Amino acid sequence: MKSIELLGKGEEMHGRAYIKLSADEIEESIKKLKENGFNHFVMLSCVDWLDKGKFELVYHMWNYEEKEHAMLSVDIDRNNDVMKSMSHLFPQIETYEREIHEMYGIKFEGNNRLTPFLLENWPHDPPMRKDFDSKKFVKQMYESIPFIEGDENEGI
Amino acid sequence: MGLHNGDKMMRYEEWSKLARKASKRSLWMVHFCTGCGAIEMPPVMTSRYDMERFGIAPMATPRQADVLLITGYLTVKTLRRVIQVYEQMQSPKYVIAFGSCTINGGMYWDSYNTIKHLEKYIPVDLYIAGCMPRPEGIINAFLELMKLIDEGKARGWERYQKYYDKYKENQRRVFNFEVKEEEKEEKEQKREKNEEH
Repeated sequence: MKSIELLGKGEEMHGRAYIKLSADEIEESIKKLKENGFNHFVMLSCVDWLDKGKFELVYHMWNYEEKEHAMLSVDIDRNNDVMKSMSHLFPQIETYEREIHEMYGIKFEGNNRLTPFLLENWPHDPPMRKDFDSKKFVKQMYESIPFIEGDENEGI
Repeated sequence: MGLHNGDKMMRYEEWSKLARKASKRSLWMVHFCTGCGAIEMPPVMTSRYDMERFGIAPMATPRQADVLLITGYLTVKTLRRVIQVYEQMQSPKYVIAFGSCTINGGMYWDSYNTIKHLEKYIPVDLYIAGCMPRPEGIINAFLELMKLIDEGKARGWERYQKYYDKYKENQRRVFNFEVKEEEKEEKEQKREKNEEH
């Protein structure tokens, strides 16, 4: 596959190129792929590997000529969840970073728009982290609110 | 005109009975399309099920509507808008809630950002069970609501006035994502642990 040839590593996985990179290599790799036909940045996704103690960020890119999907994967430490922002390469990355910041709490250095995105007034831990106990949260947050007393058909 | 208080009350009762009889046949609804229930509305409105034969018509603005339809799950963010819409409507006003999500959370029972019981925040006159209810169910609910209006039993809006403070308190708690003291303590313990590391 073209992206594997370009970057000199990676493997083919279910017809797509899966390339494992370190955090320092990612910027140059995206640049290199962008110059060589991978001009569609599809999305940025995040996986929380709780037992391995790391977050995996996956940069998905697409090449229209070759019809090739490249996945650039980066691991970052769960306790030191800081990543360099890539929004200067593709402007749409800013929004993906904003969402991941809200849902996983990862800080992207260089992205000035990490403001609340989908959640309003959210003071708790980021909800998509694996150690966020959502059942317990529901119990404390929603189930503790009382029903309004009185008969249903009751008027003034 | 020399009428006693009791007579006035009786007249009011009689007139409101008449008004209810008339208004139940012209329910205008504002459908707040959240969740999956919105997709069940077009067949109900259009010629297949044709809700207009019962005098039910869609209305674009809440100020001119009688019925508020909550069609499915609500996130806390949407609930804020629903309450704004509900408070803009003029009395008498009725709320119909669709599907299991508004009853007890449905398939989102453990979700972190959808509310579980709608009636904790606004009064609900009628629930339609199902995930999602079929158009027949919706038509049936409207007929049931008409019956309740005729009998004077659909009085959710009066409940909202009567227990206004309690509804507001519940809304405030859910909007501010307030949690109990336990969790605050837990958070502090976690922070201390992190600092030790």
